[in-house]
Amino acid sequence: MAGEANAPLAAMIGSDVAHPTLLFVPQPRNRDMRFEFAASLAEVVLDYVRSRTQRSEVLGNDVVFLEAPQLLVPNRAGAAFVRLLGRSTRFRRTTGLYPVPQRVPTLGRWLTYLAERSEHPGSAAMLAMTEALSMHWASGQSALEDANLAAILGWIDPPDGVTGPEAAIAAEDPLVWPPAGPSTDPSFDNEVLAPAIRAYADSAPDSPRRMHALQTLERELRGQMEPTWRLMWRAVDVLRALPPGDTVEQRWTADRKDFSRYHNYLVMDGRPQARRDGAVVAARRLQTLEREQTLYDATRALDDPLVMANFRVTGEAFEGTVVSVERDRRVTGEKGRRITRPLIVVSTGDPMHLAVGAAVRSPARLGQEATIVEIRRLADSTLVTLELAGGMGRRAAPAPGTVPEEKDDITYTSAFPDAFRTPDLPPTELTPWTHGGPPQPYVPTEDDAREVWE
Amino acid sequence: MDNDTSERLRRLRGAVPAKRHNARTVAALTGNPGCARRAVLDAAGVDKEQLARHVGFPAKFGQSQFAITRGNAFEAQVKANAFAELIRLLRETLELELNEVGQTDLEEVGGNTSQEMRHIRSRQKLTGAAADGESTFFDHPLLTLDVGGNTVYLEPDLVAFHHNGKFHVVEIKSFAVIDDQADGGKVAAAATQSAVYVLALRRLLGDDDAVSDEVVLVCPKDFSNQPVATKVDVRKQLIVLQHQLSRLSRIEKLVGELPPALTFDLAAGDDGKPTRSAAALTAALAEVEARYAPDCLAKCEMAFFCRKEASGCTATLGINVREELGGVETVAEALGLADGSLIASDSQAEAAAMLRTTAEIYGSVTA
Amino acid sequence: MTSPAEALERRIDELRAAVRKAVTAGERDRARELRKELRRLEDAWDEALDELADQTERPVKPVPRQAGPLLPLREQVHQALTLLGAPAAPRLIIAVHEAFHVGEIIPARLTSLRRDEERSFRTAPHSRPYYLCPALTADLLAPARGLLAVSTWPMANRVIGPLSPRVDFLISAIRLAGHLDRIPDPSTDARRLLWRFAANIPGAAPSAAAMTPAAVADAAEAELDIHRDSDRSHREAAAKRAREQLDDIEQLFGSRLRGVASTGS
Repeated sequence: MAGEANAPLAAMIGSDVAHPTLLFVPQPRNRDMRFEFAASLAEVVLDYVRSRTQRSEVLGNDVVFLEAPQLLVPNRAGAAFVRLLGRSTRFRRTTGLYPVPQRVPTLGRWLTYLAERSEHPGSAAMLAMTEALSMHWASGQSALEDANLAAILGWIDPPDGVTGPEAAIAAEDPLVWPPAGPSTDPSFDNEVLAPAIRAYADSAPDSPRRMHALQTLERELRGQMEPTWRLMWRAVDVLRALPPGDTVEQRWTADRKDFSRYHNYLVMDGRPQARRDGAVVAARRLQTLEREQTLYDATRALDDPLVMANFRVTGEAFEGTVVSVERDRRVTGEKGRRITRPLIVVSTGDPMHLAVGAAVRSPARLGQEATIVEIRRLADSTLVTLELAGGMGRRAAPAPGTVPEEKDDITYTSAFPDAFRTPDLPPTELTPWTHGGPPQPYVPTEDDAREVWE
Repeated sequence: MDNDTSERLRRLRGAVPAKRHNARTVAALTGNPGCARRAVLDAAGVDKEQLARHVGFPAKFGQSQFAITRGNAFEAQVKANAFAELIRLLRETLELELNEVGQTDLEEVGGNTSQEMRHIRSRQKLTGAAADGESTFFDHPLLTLDVGGNTVYLEPDLVAFHHNGKFHVVEIKSFAVIDDQADGGKVAAAATQSAVYVLALRRLLGDDDAVSDEVVLVCPKDFSNQPVATKVDVRKQLIVLQHQLSRLSRIEKLVGELPPALTFDLAAGDDGKPTRSAAALTAALAEVEARYAPDCLAKCEMAFFCRKEASGCTATLGINVREELGGVETVAEALGLADGSLIASDSQAEAAAMLRTTAEIYGSVTA
Repeated sequence: MTSPAEALERRIDELRAAVRKAVTAGERDRARELRKELRRLEDAWDEALDELADQTERPVKPVPRQAGPLLPLREQVHQALTLLGAPAAPRLIIAVHEAFHVGEIIPARLTSLRRDEERSFRTAPHSRPYYLCPALTADLLAPARGLLAVSTWPMANRVIGPLSPRVDFLISAIRLAGHLDRIPDPSTDARRLLWRFAANIPGAAPSAAAMTPAAVADAAEAELDIHRDSDRSHREAAAKRAREQLDDIEQLFGSRLRGVASTGS
């Protein structure tokens, strides 16, 4: 609700387009009602999370669930709201001054988990639909306008007889397309919601007036959310029509593993996530995110030639034709042994911005290292000489087909899955005293729990 | 400003009173400083909201009564019981001495709430603050600021006077600070608005050093109603604001280039609607160049009109697209440069090369 | 059943949509007209609903949480102010009342109360043992915004100088603490009220749970010592002026015109 920090007004949630669950708070300023809302939401969310844990497999030393939860929200602000709702519920206690059912803090931990997981590049744990769409389609409007789900979907998939731009303009009318939340339209607040909440507040419990006020609220809130509910499913259909990339499976497995890990943690320990990360945890997290970002960019480029095209435009990758091959070249290695290091020359028209010494890989031969050893710029093309290592079999002479041949079309990219290398941080328990020693696990304080939610 | 320019601005506005500015609209002046249309309309005091509506592109601003109620309730709460919560917070934040608790109510003058009266009294009390040392807290003083030749009344939530001789603007906002973080956009807006008050207070006292360029922002903490105070440095906002205000007062040049008969007169006829047709006003608007950017949608009443006018232009795609395509005004031009059917001018050379490469590479992939 | 109530309801929905449309388009006059029509229909609809309810059960009107007040409103307010011992804002008066007594004070009635008191005094001066009157500002001797006082208090307690709000806050804290110490089993509301004072007085209490009324009173007393003398001399001087310059009515209800004229240009 407008003006209140993270006060839920209503939610429509479910995994079946035909059967959404509508939850709403008749008086959003009432704290008890907010907790009742959180408790009802917890039932839906926790049931769903549980349903993801029915089957599992063994991967290495770990038991990994075959499924993981995925939360789709309309936009980035919706994702931020979920994070805050997690923050406001995960420290609540089942005893004391404002007791809540156990499922409320459990909901808080899961929402926080999903919000944190969604920061990992390549994770699909929680997606803002507008961003998922923007990754695959470019519209003719600005990023700001793309943040309106109805508008971006209007561009991508306009109704019959309407052009994309027309559909996008129509989507800006809040009377036709109510905002996809979490903010409501001010004229809805002032002309519809406020009188309805007043009617509820001014009526005696269980009176016909109160029943009617509840019905009005439910009808009006449903009316505000149903259009977005339908849009979300239309967006899901539009996305599902795309062929999945080859590495999607790999990324989803990472989500499944992490979900399984956190599920275990909740069973074994279960303390809520800290309010803020400590320095050591934050440093680790940052390093992980950077590595994942590199991996994600690279694997996406392998999946999708259009993503690779973008690397080629920026000069981080190039495509060309092999114009000469020195297949059996051998040099003396560091240890004095003779080793096979073929040279190839690729002629490319792309604006290549890599320098001599750069490590690159070809998506078609990921196991083979390539290093740029010479670059010659001609009038309308560039000749790039690459030295190859590895991926050529065990014999002195490269196995057939392991070295590119003349006239082959080939792509080389500096963004490849293991391109990101940093010195490993010491294990957490060996954090040196100069960095504060091993971090203490976060123990929620009385203050965290007592904080009034009002 | 010379008489000639004042006269021209009056004519641009027509036979209606000038639109009154407030802290929010003055703060908004700092957005999109390169837009001549906006500068002219603001300097002339044209009612942009009404103008946009009349030409068929009403602004989509609006405030929820829930937000307004919450804002008022939070301010009342932190000021309740003789500023009890504020005194505690400011003792911590500004290191006030224990004896600094004096309060002066400037929201009315003996039951009189006229702006002139309140401003005179605010001036009296604030300029005398250092001398009489009676008060630390000045509740809702009424300040003024000259905006393009018009006097604007401004009302900060509170001004605190510290024993070291400095005044601090205190702004009470109801957006939450959760785990020491708040919505960046809201903090920025509050900082700009506070900067407007700082500037007005400096002009009133005639002494820049007397007013701190750190303002105090009071917000609810986490999900509670408990207030928390934070100092915010508004030096940058002050520079932008002063630049923009002086630009408004140097409006002569912009105005001098406009056709002499140009006017945005919204004077109403008997039916309460402007007598001039939407077409005439649209034509008038076309005489003053706008500099549309998607950001305008959230800030300027004219934005939807300007967006429509700019359709087909690279600017509608966002500031970074506009910058990346430096010198390429329209989407059609960009396409022509990409496929080679248009020849790039010198200023477009860099963008054109990039467009051609992109077209070739993407074209080879999708073919 | 397509009852008249349902038809009305459909019309109400349509009107609501029309109002939003008008508001969004900035057509204020039209929105106002539509709203007027909307209110009319909503009233009609309420009546229809009442009739419907009559057939099934008695309509339940909103009722206060507790049965009617045991004392007249002005005496409730007098009680609260006497407890606090200093001029107070309506909000605090209501909080005090709710912490120690049953029944509810409706804020809007406090506003009319002040007018009623003045009217009563003008009609028959000094006929009541006390009047509820506004506190007066020390400089203009005009009614201080939103502060109520009791006519029997010395003039110096009824005028408000710059330091007086804080001084009165501390006095009230001391008196509240004293009251809490005297009564057996103070209510949660009463403790919460005192905590609102204690939280903002240096050294009064480490937390709501660990708060003791005696420590709150001591801390308030300590800060009061800092302000007391300068506040007192300021108030006495203003009180002297009030007694010399104001007539009987003005001494209680404040001077409006004179104050304004003296600051005018």
